[in-house]
Amino acid sequence: AVPGSQWPCGGAMAAVGLLCRLWRLALGGWASCRPAPPRRGTALPGGSPRPAASASSSRPGQTESEPGEGRVYLSASCVQRLLEVAEGAEFLRLQVEGGGCSGFQYKFSLDTVINPDDRVFEQGGARVVVDVDSLAFVKGSMVDFSQELIRSSFQVVSNPQAEKGCSCGTSFSIKF
Amino acid sequence: MGLKSAHFLCGGAVASDLRMRCFFRLHESPEEPHILLECDSTVLDSVQKHLKLYKIRRKVNIAPCLDLSLWAVIPREQPGDIASSLNKCADQTLVLTPDPRTEVMGWRLITKKEANLLDIIPGSHIGNIQDYHRHRYKQGIPEGVKDLPPGVALPLESNLAYMNGISFTKGCYIGQELTARTHHMGVIRKRLLPVQFSAPLPLENIPEGAEILTESGKSAGKFRAGGDELGIALLRLANINEPLCLKMPGDKVKLTATIPKWWPKTAGK
Repeated sequence: AVPGSQWPCGGAMAAVGLLCRLWRLALGGWASCRPAPPRRGTALPGGSPRPAASASSSRPGQTESEPGEGRVYLSASCVQRLLEVAEGAEFLRLQVEGGGCSGFQYKFSLDTVINPDDRVFEQGGARVVVDVDSLAFVKGSMVDFSQELIRSSFQVVSNPQAEKGCSCGTSFSIKF
Repeated sequence: MGLKSAHFLCGGAVASDLRMRCFFRLHESPEEPHILLECDSTVLDSVQKHLKLYKIRRKVNIAPCLDLSLWAVIPREQPGDIASSLNKCADQTLVLTPDPRTEVMGWRLITKKEANLLDIIPGSHIGNIQDYHRHRYKQGIPEGVKDLPPGVALPLESNLAYMNGISFTKGCYIGQELTARTHHMGVIRKRLLPVQFSAPLPLENIPEGAEILTESGKSAGKFRAGGDELGIALLRLANINEPLCLKMPGDKVKLTATIPKWWPKTAGK
């Protein structure tokens, strides 16, 4: 990534945006040609490590999502932020609850316990975990870490099932 | 859903058609709290489905209580000193609480289906359900989906704020922004009001949403529901003191609207 001088569009924000995009491409490319190192204690089926491009956990039986259940995607900023803040066995848990100004709301938390009805989505060493009930509401979405003037937070962006929700991004309604 | 307060709270929070319900909390429950939700029996299934939609993973069981009976206890004399004459049979009575909406609706009583009402309230007499509805319409108290059609009736126009039906401190719910803004800053021009026809009118003859007109033929509102010579209508507050009539196919029926006594003194402006 080359600093701003080559991009005449001016403004630090634009340059940072471009930097991020380049970085994500690099990260994506990196992940697809380099197999993910197996985590300590994880038994991998078949004995050989699998590439991380599909970004789902390879823990046998429990946490891999079925084809119909759907999946969530992690943005590069989400991965980076998680690597910074998650300690030890912590991962980012995403849940959907009833409530909020539009009917449903997203809830993020750091957790360490994975349950049988959880699905784990991993990318670049960062993990996001969603239980199957919540996954039905967020499948196809991307989890992002957005940094704005008003706040920095994990957000669910581009949820294909959601109608326009509230402006702070926490609450949403479902397209029926 | 914003649960609070000892005996009861009023009003749903989840979506427009669930707003017009009352929640009752059981008085003593040592383990998990039980909440009895009173609703129009014709929409029992859709209320259940609605709650389940928003439940997702919360540890909540939602089930109809087909073994319970719901009673309205309306004092014959002036309300106020009824409490002393009520004899609570604890094993038959699950809930006995003042109707959260207004004093004129007396008390709400929930018993087991087989309970003997005369044991619980000596000196009472079990009335006709039509008399209950007449009492409601006379007072202008809407209840159920005929009076409050889902998706049509608005909480402030339905006088929910006068009936302890809206919390302005509970935070986000669907429609919260509009409701709070209108209540604090806006003007409510139409409200549900009790009306009386000059002569009894069979309900089947009244087309749905029949218009109510002023003497000059201007629209003053719409008829909502009722029976015989009583009913409730959504009326423009500016017109309620004028002579009004219900527009019917081939006819006009005179009616008068009144401001209910139980509205706050500042109401009707």
